[in-house]
Amino acid sequence: MLLEMERITKSYGDVKANRGIDYNLKAGEVHAIVGENGAGKTTLMRILYGMEQPSSGMIKLKGKEVFFADPKEAIRHGIGMVHQHFMLFPNFSVAENIVIGKEPGKVRFDRKTAAAQVEALSNAYGIKVDPWAKAGDCPLGVQQRVEILKVLHQGAEIIILDEPTGVLTPLEVRELLDAIKALTLKGKSFILISHKLNEVMSAADRITVLRDGEVTGTLEASQTNVEQLSKLMVGRSLAPAIKRPSSPKRAVLELNNVSLFGSGSKPLLDSISMNVRAGEIVGIAGISGNGQSELIQAIAGLLAPDQGSISLLGANVTGRSARELRDAGLAHIPEDRYIWGANKSATVAETGMMGHQRRLQRFGLMRGKEIKTLVSDWIQQYSIKAGSLDNQTQNLSGGNLQKLIVARELAQNTPFLIAAEPTRGVDIGAMETIHEQLLRKRDGGGAILLVSSELSEVLKLSDRILVMYEGKIAGELQVSDATEEKLSLLMAGGKRNAQDQ
Amino acid sequence: MDQLLDLALFNSALRVLTPILLAALGGALCARAGLFNVGLEGLMLIGAFTAIVGNHYFSNTALAILFAIACVSIFSLLFAYLSIHLQANVIVVGIAMNFLALGLTTFSLRTIFHVKGAYHNKEMIGLPKWELPLIKDIPVVGDILSGQSPLVYLALVLAGLLWYYFYRTIGGFRFLAAGGNPLAARSIGIRVRRYQYGAVLACGVLCALAGAQLSLGQVTMFTEGMTAGRGFIALVAMMLGQSGPLGVVASSALFGLMDSFSIRLQGLSLPSHFTQMVPYAVTIVAMFFFKDKGFLKDAQSSGSSSR
Amino acid sequence: MHKINKLLQPLVGPIVAIFLGLLAGSIAILVAGGSIAETYSEMWKGAFGSFYFFTSTLSRATPIILIGMGAVIAFRSGFFNLGAEGQMVLGGLSAALVGLYLPGPAWFVCIAALLAGVIAGGLWSAMAGYFDVRFRVNLLITTLLLNYIATLFAGYMVAYPFKDRSGSAAMAQSAMLDSGIWLPKLFKGMAVHAGLVIAVIAVIALYVYLTKSVSGYEARMLGGNPLFAVYGGIKRTSLMITTMFASGGLAGLAGATEVLGSQYRYIDNAFSSADYAWTGIMAALLANANPLGTAVAAFFLAALQTGGMGVELNTEVPLEIGAVIQAVLILFITVKFTLSFWKRRKGRNHDGSTA
Repeated sequence: MLLEMERITKSYGDVKANRGIDYNLKAGEVHAIVGENGAGKTTLMRILYGMEQPSSGMIKLKGKEVFFADPKEAIRHGIGMVHQHFMLFPNFSVAENIVIGKEPGKVRFDRKTAAAQVEALSNAYGIKVDPWAKAGDCPLGVQQRVEILKVLHQGAEIIILDEPTGVLTPLEVRELLDAIKALTLKGKSFILISHKLNEVMSAADRITVLRDGEVTGTLEASQTNVEQLSKLMVGRSLAPAIKRPSSPKRAVLELNNVSLFGSGSKPLLDSISMNVRAGEIVGIAGISGNGQSELIQAIAGLLAPDQGSISLLGANVTGRSARELRDAGLAHIPEDRYIWGANKSATVAETGMMGHQRRLQRFGLMRGKEIKTLVSDWIQQYSIKAGSLDNQTQNLSGGNLQKLIVARELAQNTPFLIAAEPTRGVDIGAMETIHEQLLRKRDGGGAILLVSSELSEVLKLSDRILVMYEGKIAGELQVSDATEEKLSLLMAGGKRNAQDQ
Repeated sequence: MDQLLDLALFNSALRVLTPILLAALGGALCARAGLFNVGLEGLMLIGAFTAIVGNHYFSNTALAILFAIACVSIFSLLFAYLSIHLQANVIVVGIAMNFLALGLTTFSLRTIFHVKGAYHNKEMIGLPKWELPLIKDIPVVGDILSGQSPLVYLALVLAGLLWYYFYRTIGGFRFLAAGGNPLAARSIGIRVRRYQYGAVLACGVLCALAGAQLSLGQVTMFTEGMTAGRGFIALVAMMLGQSGPLGVVASSALFGLMDSFSIRLQGLSLPSHFTQMVPYAVTIVAMFFFKDKGFLKDAQSSGSSSR
Repeated sequence: MHKINKLLQPLVGPIVAIFLGLLAGSIAILVAGGSIAETYSEMWKGAFGSFYFFTSTLSRATPIILIGMGAVIAFRSGFFNLGAEGQMVLGGLSAALVGLYLPGPAWFVCIAALLAGVIAGGLWSAMAGYFDVRFRVNLLITTLLLNYIATLFAGYMVAYPFKDRSGSAAMAQSAMLDSGIWLPKLFKGMAVHAGLVIAVIAVIALYVYLTKSVSGYEARMLGGNPLFAVYGGIKRTSLMITTMFASGGLAGLAGATEVLGSQYRYIDNAFSSADYAWTGIMAALLANANPLGTAVAAFFLAALQTGGMGVELNTEVPLEIGAVIQAVLILFITVKFTLSFWKRRKGRNHDGSTA
């Protein structure tokens, strides 16, 4: 056995993120770890990579017990990690990013040798990169190759891949899976962390399932199936959401040729025209970073478009402020709950009343009682675990804060709602609640623009799906025609192929 | 106009830009390590005062400067500990540092020298003026470059060294990495805090030199609050120079020139109030050309940064 | 028991800081060759020893409280306005000029002079705010540098065009105001004047504004997370300019009350050498930008300064002992800051957004 993790337990205060986890890895094997958000996958890997120390349990490498105080020691023992959010220096060249930590030269940094080393490495493993390119300018697929070459340069034998396919196009995913295969033939071993069961099934030799910090099964990939895995992951079978067919009415939101140029060579938004009608959910699918964030911000009044017009309920609202848009009938579940959606140091009531404050006032003073009743009602209705209303927002868990934000925005009762990544990083229970509420709003005649990087979510909720690619709408599909394959192609920019099919 | 623009103007500009340049280089180091050090002014003031104290006790400028470096290092360590270890808001710590410097130097001026406002002693020796062999004989360049205090030359050399460190050495490469993306640096085992401490300490040394140039290089005296905002001007010079050593040299040169120009203007019949405003006004105007990131981007990046 | 703990907890930080400040002060006293007990008792006497001393402490606290309030409103909204000194100077100068040259009944001139102080300080400060929102010029640095320009400008005004040529010609100061428009003293023969009443009103008003009003809520949210505030429909630009106006206006009011209540003329450098502005900012930092706490801290710092004068009169220790204690206090308070609302966002691994 190459690596053995035995009875790993990790507690943060009262919370046990890992409880007695056993996990092992053979040389040349891909052993995946799957589980829901919060199941303890990332914690386990942070322990293996030396970023955290286990509360109890031990790690053995080739039969010998090891202890990693920091990532440097893990790297020295041949463990490398490709993080979910890439750990690159965007201003540095590809070669610099790969050799960092093991630079050629004594005092002087010999950049030419570095480039040569990278060239050699890239040839040896058949992973193509341009050593002199600026890392920040490379597509995400290339950035991931850079990450993999970096851990190979560090001499890794065991490579941890944390949710490696989240930001890749389907073609890039295939390339990645091929690269993994090729590397295992050269003796490298992989720990693949993912929640995408299909990919895990096609790439892994063995699969370990975690739930609530515990192992619920370790299976041979050849002897299991997606259904069995998802049951082990969630602990119960999921009831499929019941969605009535939609009957869309007049257009609520209309975009006409909206462009945003940004500072790069390509526009961030490129002549976007679209609409959202009352009583329908329009889903925006796409690999993240293709203009979705900018589109949301332009519609929500946080970025003024350089060209084109936006109208809400028939009124031209181009370039209006967020305040004016909200007054005109927009509510907005933001894509990042901490950056946009909350003030961590404010109380739960204060975070909850944002956007409602001007309604709940008398002579410029806040109506404290009514605000409290309002927020308390949401806490009950959505079963949010918030402690008291005076608790600090930062003490809420991600799922509970997300539910608070969803409640806050739905309570605006506006004709139009932006729901950006409404369930990112929340557990299944919260996800079901949020989905249910969004569908209810739609059935009540609301117009919803759903932006999500999870295809399954887009497919489940939307009535119509637009795919964004490089700041453009690459295609539009009715949900009845949409399949993961068609969407994937459009997301990769393969417009024609998708329409020919 | 002859009176306003001559070689002596550039010569004096070189002298007055030195404290700004030294402090701005220190600020650039901190900025590149991810710390916006508002405390430059205070560190410089402590440097100026302790250089005079050292000079008073040791009667030797070299020892005086070493003494100043030692004292300022203690305070920069305090700054580092509060802002790096205890994760206090760097701006608040920087402001507090400036208060502490002002309070301590005023108090110590009274207790050590028993004077109020300013301390001046004819017997104190200032920094020597170095006549550079060869260079001093080159017509124009010699007049400007030669006859400065050693700290002036040191400042220019240090700027060059810093450039070499940042862009040519492995250490500097890792330094920039640690400051540019601490999370990523930590993930490959770079000890980010170590670089941050190093930056703050080096900044302390540079501010000590800046202060010493103020109190020993130009006039050989100490007055309360004698830095008079130069630390903040240095901060702007650092921002204008995009925290790159060469850019910092250029922007410090601009401010030095303006500073010596304003001294020169006093020779005319203008009220000194207005001539003294020139450096501050020029600094504010200069900031219009340097676009700050804007709060949206700034807030987004601070929201996702790891520190 | 738990409740008492909760009430006492916020006091632990300041008490520790005060203790450390006094400890550092003791060291400074020993270095200066004084006796600790004697020095501190002189300090106490100088600040509170008699009704007269007590009222002079209150009088000194008046501008510090007002400036502290100006700092509070700016800091809570997330704006580092460090320009209180310049704003105060311009407020004082404008009040003096209006007081000298505006015709009309005395009460009217007095109120007009106070308003002129507010407007001058407010506009000077709002200008820096405008530069920030319009041209993205770093507010912290502009406000700082504007201090120098304002002080030099005011110095010029009383050194040349509006110089008092009646008395000793050496001083750069304006002419004396007519006694009819002076702010009334609260007690006969004592230093404290009606400015203190204005300051107390400002404290209460600001407390109500921040905790109870919608606009105060919006300001606090903007200070806590500007993106959240803008997302929620708060207008940052207008809030920033009005906040900066209010912040500078309070500093200008401090200058005006000082001119109308204590000095009766604008004297070059009088505000700077008394360090009112920076002490006010320190008070706000000490009290975590809480209005009531800032008022208490302002009073405490004023007591340190008047106490320091008592120390200088009666012992060998110079009055700057107060400055040392202040500075150490503020440094240790920053640690407390860390634990409360200035806290930087820590690593994002606690938020559960990655799994």
